[in-house]
Amino acid sequence: MEAPARTTDVRPVAARLQRLVIRDFRNLADVTLVVPPGGLALVGDNGHGKTNLLEAVYYLHLFRSLRGARDVELVRFGATTFHIGAEAAGARRDRLSVGFEKETGRRRILLDGVPCPRVSDALGALPSVAFSPADVALVAGGPGGRRHWLDVTLASTSARYLGSLRDYRAALSQRNAALRARSRSSPPAVWEPAMAEHGAALRLARAEFIDWARPRVTESGMSLGERGLVEARYRCGDPLLPGATLDDAREAIAATLAAGRDRDLERGSTLQGPHRDDIEIRLDGVSLRRYGSAGQQRTAAIALRLLECAWYRERGGTEPVLLLDDPVAELDRGRAARVLAAITAREGGQVLLAVPRADDIPAALTALPRFRVRDGTISPWSDADA
Amino acid sequence: MSAIDDLAAELAKLPGIGKKTAMRLTYHLLKQPSDRSLRLAQALEVLAERVHPCPRCHNLTEQDLCAICSDPRRDASVICAVEEASDIWAIERSGEYRGVYHVLGGRLSPLDGVSASDLTVNHLVERVAAGEVREVIMATNPSVEGEATALLVQQALGAAPVRVSRIARGLPMGGDLEYADGVTIAQALVARRDMVQDSR
Repeated sequence: MEAPARTTDVRPVAARLQRLVIRDFRNLADVTLVVPPGGLALVGDNGHGKTNLLEAVYYLHLFRSLRGARDVELVRFGATTFHIGAEAAGARRDRLSVGFEKETGRRRILLDGVPCPRVSDALGALPSVAFSPADVALVAGGPGGRRHWLDVTLASTSARYLGSLRDYRAALSQRNAALRARSRSSPPAVWEPAMAEHGAALRLARAEFIDWARPRVTESGMSLGERGLVEARYRCGDPLLPGATLDDAREAIAATLAAGRDRDLERGSTLQGPHRDDIEIRLDGVSLRRYGSAGQQRTAAIALRLLECAWYRERGGTEPVLLLDDPVAELDRGRAARVLAAITAREGGQVLLAVPRADDIPAALTALPRFRVRDGTISPWSDADA
Repeated sequence: MSAIDDLAAELAKLPGIGKKTAMRLTYHLLKQPSDRSLRLAQALEVLAERVHPCPRCHNLTEQDLCAICSDPRRDASVICAVEEASDIWAIERSGEYRGVYHVLGGRLSPLDGVSASDLTVNHLVERVAAGEVREVIMATNPSVEGEATALLVQQALGAAPVRVSRIARGLPMGGDLEYADGVTIAQALVARRDMVQDSR
């Protein structure tokens, strides 16, 4: 049973960060920043804190590090807690705050002043999408990164997906532990119905997402100047036929798990299932991961980020804040111009741009008010900085 | 270690009590008349010495059989299987259940080294095999582990001629949709039922 399709004629609201307060997050000891409606450009040498500021803003989207760091690693060296606070407009909440204490490992999220004990209810509180040169790993790296991207994107807009993901992972870990225990009183099979039930929900949602994404990826490929046909395909361990229902998907997973049980017992791990699925990005029928050039892979990664924005806009109803970390570094001029045109072709979305030098600010974004980042402090741009 | 630190350390091991609260409780005990503290100590002593699992259902009791098992008005043909003895208290509060119980002593979790042999599953199978049981209601928690435990019990009961049922999950009664968390609402939507017209 699927929820009825959402109408898309609702005009998305642009999420805007208005005021940002950061304490002891990475190298940012004490930052208070009033963010202009259109956004801003952060200019500073590498290692001075530009990316850390973008990471702090992103933390209010996923409540996890953008770079996969653990919360304890985010606390500034020598400090005991970090705190990020924001005032926003157009997001689900007007005031957001999160604090983390290193010693107790406790984290406290306040939304509009009310404690939010479940992070699942806070996800996407201030939606943002981050573009960085490291995104190339989304296309060039292993399936784990793409799956993570897919899971995060879907979980940010669907409580049901998040719940299924959490339960699927719990059942998978338990089945793996049971496989390793090799004990008659701990049969792996009892975990399979839960894996099948929650895995089926994951697969149907992923398949629906890829169906939605397919024409958009192709379109992005063209507008970013790829001459060939860019395609996204869901590589699912048990191929889903068009029109497959939740029951079909559940039975397929259950059958695969049952059939693989002996082999899994030998290996002490679950070798097949939704946790091994992948998205394949192809150019003219050829895998970009294996055969794409560096430039093609960068472009495809940007297409995935644009997809993420479109998903939050259409499904979440909110235009996310764009966090651009040196987005066109290492791209040739033609590609860079097309990428920026595609990224900025949104109505009224807020942009937070980070670049090493003022002349790295792309022409399309020169109107953004500039700030200088130096040694973890942010100050308005003065002509002396030029 | 002083007696004060000693007690505070013991209190801090209790669920929901941190170091600070443990200290505050310790000083509170010192401030009140000493006979009150002694009464607490005696209550703890009696608790530790006399309370034991009921040999039939593993509920906690001071008697030979627990109050529920020894109550002739309870319907012994229906057994409600729960994870912990404290779950019995929760179900009894409803006042709706007239059957008896079986405490499994936890839930299956290979990750924590808990397997079927650490639970009282075999004993439950024996109770059912002894006859006179019509139905076993699986009231383990609606978590992944609780579901797997229910499934394990169902499989262990295997061929026994007994109905095995599972409690429903979804929105709490009298609750406000506005305050339910997203995952619960999503689950309740997935498990929605058709509204059947009364055909009388």
